[in-house]
Amino acid sequence: MAANKNTRQGAAPATIRKAAVIGAGVMGAGIAAHIANAGIPVILLDIVPPPGKSGALNTPNRSAIAEGAVQKLLKTEPAAFMHPKNAGLVTTGNLEDDLGLLGDCDWIVEAVLEDLAVKRALYAKLDGVRKPGSIVSSNTSTIPLALLTEGLPKRFAEDFLVTHFFNPPRYMRLLEIVVGAATRHDAVETMAAFCERVLGKGVVRCNDTPGFIANRIGTFWIQKGTNAAMDLGLTVEEADAVMGRPFGIPKTGIFGLVDLVGLDLMPHVSRSLQATLAATDAYQAIFRAPELFARLITEGYTGRKGKGGFYRLNREAGKRKEAIDLVTGIYRPVVKPELASLAEARHAGQMLAHPDKGGAYARQVMGETLAYAASLVPEIAADIVSVDQAMKLGYAWKQGPFELIDAIGVDAFIAGLEAAGVPVPPLLRAAAGRSFYRIESGRLEYLTTEGSYAPVVRAPGVLLLEDVKRRSEPLAKNASASLWDIGDGIACLEFHSKMNSIDDQIIAMVGKAIGIVGKGMKGLVVYNEGSNFSVGANIGLALFAANIALWPNVEEMVAAGQKAYKALKYTPFPVVAAPSGMALGGGCEICLHADAIQAHAETYIGLVETGVGLIPGWGGCKEMLLRATANPKRPKGPMPPVAQVFETVSVAKVAKSAADAKELLFLRPDDGITMNRDHLLADAKAKALSLAEGYQPPEPVVLRLPGPTAVAGLNLAVHDYVKQGKATAHDSVVAGELAVVLSGGDTDMLDELTEDQILALERAAFMRLVKTGATLARIEHTLETGKPLRN
Amino acid sequence: MKPVVIAGYARSPFHFARKGELARVRPDDLAAQVVAGLIERSKVDPADLEDLIVGCAFPEGEQGFNVARLIGFLAHLPITVAATTVNRFCGSSMQSIHMAAGAIQLDAGEVFICAGVESMSRVPMTGFNPMPNPHLAAEFPAAYMSMGETAENVANRYQVSREQQQAMAVESHAKAVAAQAAGKFKDEIVAITGPKTGTVSTDGCIRPDTSQETLSGLKPAFDANGTVTAGTSSPLTDGASAVLVCTEEYAKRHGLDILARLKAIAVAGCDPDVMGMGPAVATRKILRRTGLSIDDIGVVEINEAFASQGLACIRELGIDPDRVNLDGGALALGHPLGATGARITGKAASLLRREGKRYALATQCIGGGQGIATILEAA
Repeated sequence: MAANKNTRQGAAPATIRKAAVIGAGVMGAGIAAHIANAGIPVILLDIVPPPGKSGALNTPNRSAIAEGAVQKLLKTEPAAFMHPKNAGLVTTGNLEDDLGLLGDCDWIVEAVLEDLAVKRALYAKLDGVRKPGSIVSSNTSTIPLALLTEGLPKRFAEDFLVTHFFNPPRYMRLLEIVVGAATRHDAVETMAAFCERVLGKGVVRCNDTPGFIANRIGTFWIQKGTNAAMDLGLTVEEADAVMGRPFGIPKTGIFGLVDLVGLDLMPHVSRSLQATLAATDAYQAIFRAPELFARLITEGYTGRKGKGGFYRLNREAGKRKEAIDLVTGIYRPVVKPELASLAEARHAGQMLAHPDKGGAYARQVMGETLAYAASLVPEIAADIVSVDQAMKLGYAWKQGPFELIDAIGVDAFIAGLEAAGVPVPPLLRAAAGRSFYRIESGRLEYLTTEGSYAPVVRAPGVLLLEDVKRRSEPLAKNASASLWDIGDGIACLEFHSKMNSIDDQIIAMVGKAIGIVGKGMKGLVVYNEGSNFSVGANIGLALFAANIALWPNVEEMVAAGQKAYKALKYTPFPVVAAPSGMALGGGCEICLHADAIQAHAETYIGLVETGVGLIPGWGGCKEMLLRATANPKRPKGPMPPVAQVFETVSVAKVAKSAADAKELLFLRPDDGITMNRDHLLADAKAKALSLAEGYQPPEPVVLRLPGPTAVAGLNLAVHDYVKQGKATAHDSVVAGELAVVLSGGDTDMLDELTEDQILALERAAFMRLVKTGATLARIEHTLETGKPLRN
Repeated sequence: MKPVVIAGYARSPFHFARKGELARVRPDDLAAQVVAGLIERSKVDPADLEDLIVGCAFPEGEQGFNVARLIGFLAHLPITVAATTVNRFCGSSMQSIHMAAGAIQLDAGEVFICAGVESMSRVPMTGFNPMPNPHLAAEFPAAYMSMGETAENVANRYQVSREQQQAMAVESHAKAVAAQAAGKFKDEIVAITGPKTGTVSTDGCIRPDTSQETLSGLKPAFDANGTVTAGTSSPLTDGASAVLVCTEEYAKRHGLDILARLKAIAVAGCDPDVMGMGPAVATRKILRRTGLSIDDIGVVEINEAFASQGLACIRELGIDPDRVNLDGGALALGHPLGATGARITGKAASLLRREGKRYALATQCIGGGQGIATILEAA
C-alpha cells in the first residue's frame, strides 16, 4: 500500500539502533567513528569523487572519499576510534549508489559543506529514502535551523533538529542541540537521551541563534583576546598565561587554542557571525582581521595541523619551541612570561584586580567576555546553567562564565565593569548582592532570568558525588580520602589528595571503609570526580624515606598497600572500581583488586611503575598474572600468561581507552564501560547492587609459574631490546626484577604459589630496585619534571 | 653405496608471515598440499613410500603432535606409509633428505618424501613457550643468542659492510624478479588453496623495487649501532617444500624424472654466536669428504638467512658469486625455517640439470651454531 505522503508514518524510534552520517570530512568522519565507539552500526556516505580531482580519475572506486576517511580515522592522533575494530562498524558508500543503505537508519546526521543550497538539496534527497519517523539532524555550526528546513515538507521539519558536535567528536564532550518550532517532541527526547547516554555527550539545549552558545561566546573571547594582546603589548606567552591557570582555562589560553583549532578556521567563523549577528551585537564592534594573521594563513602557518601558528616547533633549530612576535611578525624562542600578576594572582578575582598589564589584559578580555555572556541569556539559551555547561564542555573551562563571576564575586565584578566603563547587562545587575548559584538545603540552585532561584536538574540517570557531598556528611574522612553514603546501602570511597595520588591516608581509609561498609552496608564503589581517578602512588613519600635510608619504612609502605588491597579483594561485600581519566600504578592496582570495574570509556589505565624504575608492588603483578592465566584466549603452556603480562608491564603500557584496557587485561571481559562520565557513579552503584545479592567473596587462587627458566627467557628478549637501542641499561635491571616476580622467583613448574607468596616476591623486587641509585634518580627526575628519565 | 637420486621437487609459494596470503593457512594443510602435489607431478606410486620425513623448526601448536603423520593423513597417503618429524632448525628439511639417504644405504626403504614446513605466522619463532635452561643461559649466552645478533657478529668479524649486504639483497631480488618473470618458478610451485585464502599460486615476498636507495633508508633491526636491517635479513615467511628421494634403480624402474644424484652429505658445528658461518665449516667438510674443490661446483644454493653471513661464507669459501642462487635466495623469496632445506636442495638439483653442470652444492646455516651441506651430481 502506498503511503499517504501527508500522514505521519511511525513515531520517532525509541532509541537509535543504526545511524548514518552524510559527509566524510573531518567532522562527519569523526562523528561516525564516535557512533561506532558506542557500538552502533553507522553508514558513512560522501559524494562520488568528481573527475579531474586529484587521483579521482585513477580510481574506479566511487566510494573512495568515505573509504579514505575511515583509513584516515584509523591513523588520527589522538585516536578517533576507541578500538581499531570499531572501524568495522562503519559501512562506507557514496551518495549516488548507496542511498538505499539509509532506508533502515533511525538517525541520519548531515555534516556536509556549510552551504545552504547544498544542504537543502541533500535533505530533499534524504527525505525520499529515509524511513518514516527517522530523525535527521545537521551538524551545522553557522546556519540557523529555520533556514535549513525552509521549503521542505512539514514531516521533514518535524523530524529535523541541529546536533552540533565539537571537534574531535570522541573527545569533546559538548553537544549542542537546537530544536525548531516544528520539531517533534519525541524526536528531541530520543536524540537527547541517545546522545547523552549512548554517545556520552553533555547535551546542552540552545536557541536557534548564530554560533549557538559555545562558539558565540568563544569567538568573542578569542577576538577580544587577540585584540587586547596587541593593544596592550603582551606577548602570546604572557597572554596565554594570564588566561590560563588564573581563570581555570586550559594552558593553551587564546593563541594556543587558535593554533589547535586552526588559524584558517577563524575567518570563516567570524565572517559567518558578522553576517548573521545583529549590527548592534557587541561582537560587530570588536571584530578585527589583523594583517599578520592573514599572512600566517597564506604562508601555511595554520596552526598545529600546518607549519605552526602563533607557536611553532623549529625543527631546523633542534626542535626549539618558538612563538611569534605580534609586533614584528617574526618567530623567536619562547620566553617564560615574567609578569608580577602571574606571580601574585592566585585566582580570577586577584588577576582582574592586578594593576600590571596582565591584570589589564584580564579585565579587557575576561571582564568583557563574561559581561557579553551575561548579556546573552535568555537570547541564546533558556538559562545560565546551559551557558556554563557549554563553556565547560566545549572549551574545557573549569568554570563556566557565571560560575567564574560567582568566584570573583558578583558585586566586585560589577564594580570592575563600571570602573572600566563597560555596560552592565540586566541579568548581571539582577544578581547584584547575590550570586548566580546557591546551595539551598544541600541542593544546588541557579538564578533564573526571572530573578528567582530554581534547582539545577541533572539528566535522568546522572548521579554525581558532587551533589551527594552538598547534601550529606561523610561517613569517614581524612586528608586524602573520604567515604560517602550514596544511598541504597552503597558507600563511595573518594580520593581527594593532590592528583589523587595514593598515600598512607588513602590506604588507611581503605581499611576504614572495609570496617564501615562491613557493618550492614551492601557494597562499596571506589570513585571520584577528579580529572584523573589516580595518577598512582605518592612516590615522593617513598623517595623521602629512601633518601634517609629508612628502608623498613619503605617496605612497610609496600606491605601496607598490599595488605589493604588484598583485604579489599576478600571483603564480604562487593567492591566496584569506577575509574575515569588516568588510573595509573597504585590507582590501577586498586581497580585490579575490585570484584568488578565499571570504567568510563575514556579511562587510561596502566601499570607505569617501570617508568620510575620500580615494579608494581601493591599486588599489580599478582592480579595481572591471575587475569592472564584466566584469559581463555591465550595460547597454552606456562609462558604465554607470564610473557603477556611482562610485555604490558615492562614497557608501562597504558590503555588508550576502556575498550583497549580490555585487550590489555586491565579490565575483565564482563567489566562494564560507561560512555557518559556523569553516569559513571550510577552505573557503578547499580553494578555493586547487582553483585550484592547472594555475594560470595572470591576463592583464593594458587598459581603454577615456570620459575627461573622464564626469567632466562624474558631476559633474552630484554637483552635484544637493549641491543636494538629500545631499552636502556637500567630498563634491563628493572625488567629483570619484573621477570623474577612474574616468573614466580625460584619456584618449580610443579609447585603452587599462593597470592601471598607472589606478594612477597613483589615486595622483595621492589625493595631491591628502590635501593638502586638509578631508580632513585628516576623518581627524583619524575617528581621534578613530570617526565621519565631514560637512564 | 647405492646411488640415491632426487626425482621430484615441489614447494608452495612463499609469503610474508602474518600479512601474507598464506597467513591463514594451517601449516599441516600447507605441507599436505605440497606433498600431494609432488606425488602427482613425480608420478610415484604412494604405496611404495617408506616414510614421510618432515622438517620443522618449531614443531608445536599447529605444527605440533607428530605433524608429519598428520600431513600424511591430510595428503591421503596410504596408511602404511610411516611419518616422522625432524628438527635441525633451519636445516630440518635438508636433514630429512640426509636421513632418507642414510636409510636407503641400510636397505631400510627405497622411496621417501622429504618435506619441510614452517608457518611463521601461526607458530612464532622461539615457539609459544620459550623456556631456556637458566644456568646455560647465564654461563653460555650464545646458546640462546638471537639470530639477528649473530648476523651482526658475522658482519663485524668478517667485515661485511652495510652497502655490501644491501648489494646482495638487491641482487637477490633482481634475480628472483627475473626468474619469476621468465616463469622459472612455475614448475616448482604447487598452488595452495585455503578456506580463508582462495588459491595462491605465486610468491609474495619478492619486492621488485628493492634498491640500494630503498634499503639505505631502513634502520638497523637488531643493534642500534649495527648494519643488519630488515632488508638484509630474510623475512619471516610461511611456506612448505618437498623432494622425492629414492634409489636410482627405483627411479629408473618406474620411469621417474631424475633431477640429480646425491653425492655427499655433511653436518658440522661452529660457534653459536656466529652461527651464520655454518655453511663454511660444513662445506669445507663435505669438500674434503668428496675430494672436490670449490671450483668443481657449478651451481651453489646457499641459504641467505642474512646477507652478512651469506656474503662472509661465499668469501671464506672462495665461491664464484656468479654460480650462487641463480633464481634468487631467501632474502627475496623468504625463509620458512623448516622448509628451506628441501627447497634449496630441490632447487640445486633442478638447476644442475637446467644449467648443464656436473656438481651442485646446497648449504645453510643453523641457529645454535651448525652448518649442513649436500653435494649433488648430474645424473
